[in-house]
Amino acid sequence: MFLLLLRTQMKSNRYIISGVAVWLIQLLLADLLAIKTVRPDFLAILILYWAIKYGRLHGTVSGFLIGILIDLSGTASFFGLSPLLYSITGYLSGNLKGAYSKLNPFYFSLAWVGILGLQFFIFCIVQYQDILYIDPRLFWMKWLGTTLYTFCFAGILQVIYPFHRLEPC
Amino acid sequence: MRNLYLAIVKNRDHVIFIFALLFSSYILLNNDNPRMGVIRGKSAEIVAFISSPMTWVKSLLFLEEENHLLREKNVVLSLQVESMLNLQKENDQLQTMLDFKHQTTLLLQPAHVVNKGIQPNLLSIIIDVGTDDNVHPNQPVLTSKGIIGKTIETGKNASIVQLISDVNYRLSVRILPSGATGILRWLGDNQAQIREVQKNVDISIGDKIITSGFSDIYPAGLPVGQVAGVYDERGSFQKILHATLPNDMSAFQYVFVVIENSNEIE
Repeated sequence: MFLLLLRTQMKSNRYIISGVAVWLIQLLLADLLAIKTVRPDFLAILILYWAIKYGRLHGTVSGFLIGILIDLSGTASFFGLSPLLYSITGYLSGNLKGAYSKLNPFYFSLAWVGILGLQFFIFCIVQYQDILYIDPRLFWMKWLGTTLYTFCFAGILQVIYPFHRLEPC
Repeated sequence: MRNLYLAIVKNRDHVIFIFALLFSSYILLNNDNPRMGVIRGKSAEIVAFISSPMTWVKSLLFLEEENHLLREKNVVLSLQVESMLNLQKENDQLQTMLDFKHQTTLLLQPAHVVNKGIQPNLLSIIIDVGTDDNVHPNQPVLTSKGIIGKTIETGKNASIVQLISDVNYRLSVRILPSGATGILRWLGDNQAQIREVQKNVDISIGDKIITSGFSDIYPAGLPVGQVAGVYDERGSFQKILHATLPNDMSAFQYVFVVIENSNEIE
């Protein structure tokens, strides 16, 4: 019983430590990697990894908590948008738990790319609603820029630690 | 009852997801709640504290470059001061003749940018001054080049600044020399659009844009940018202007908060 508790404790500690570490990286280092005003979103990638490893429930809860943390780290408008977006990402990505062996790798990749793309699309449609009305081309460029930059880092991580190496828990 | 409990347990993924969506929407719709403002002010202080070592390292990195630029600017300013002294003499003489004295005083609080938020796009910043330094919500924030935003939440020694790039940001501006007024909103990459400008006003590319003063927040005369394009809207009584903003949104370290403004006409 004690060993089981200890194991659970260690598992949750690892969960919290990795979350805090990525949040700190995002908070302190993402600005150094910024291209103009666009920065990579490491926390979205983390939620994707967690949700694919642990499933929908963990994905949704961690997405919501990390979203709250993001908004508390300084947002001017739409406080509450990040928990909404990251919960959706966590929930949708959770459906991919254990799906790598069942799905064609191409469709699997398409699924997580689509989920991240959707997250950034909702973000852009809320944050740049004016630009969509004034200059739709500029809006799509903004969405593409924000999305592609995070995809670059997700792609690099795929080479180092691909999703199919994640063992479903 | 038991069946309901079992159904919730069985579908807990979906239930938690719906709860997360509803709770997020609730927060989103209650952004103006004062209690929320207190929490955000406190969290801005924590983020400012965590970010302070990194800010210190960054400022060291920029120090040499900044020193060089400052020396260059010093020479330019010394030359300008000379010509300004002559102009002031002339101005004093003219004012005495008109028996009119117009004095504008802005009390500025310098601040250091400690964090630029962690959203994938730059929309807000955190600065290292707060209520202890007389900084309160809704005070203009500018750099030496021009307006950059306004404070929206303040903690004791940190404040969140809504940048000009935020979707909810609008600024009432005046175009010089014509004196026409309009509403400015950000477009992207140091570009902005000005609407609600009268069609019959003569405006040219390169005209200066300043704050109009038709606002409880921004005093008149703060620099904003330059006119970059003038377009006539068909079937409308208004012109649309495109403006260039002088601030590079991705690279500024220091800002000023206008903490007091008194326009006295004696």
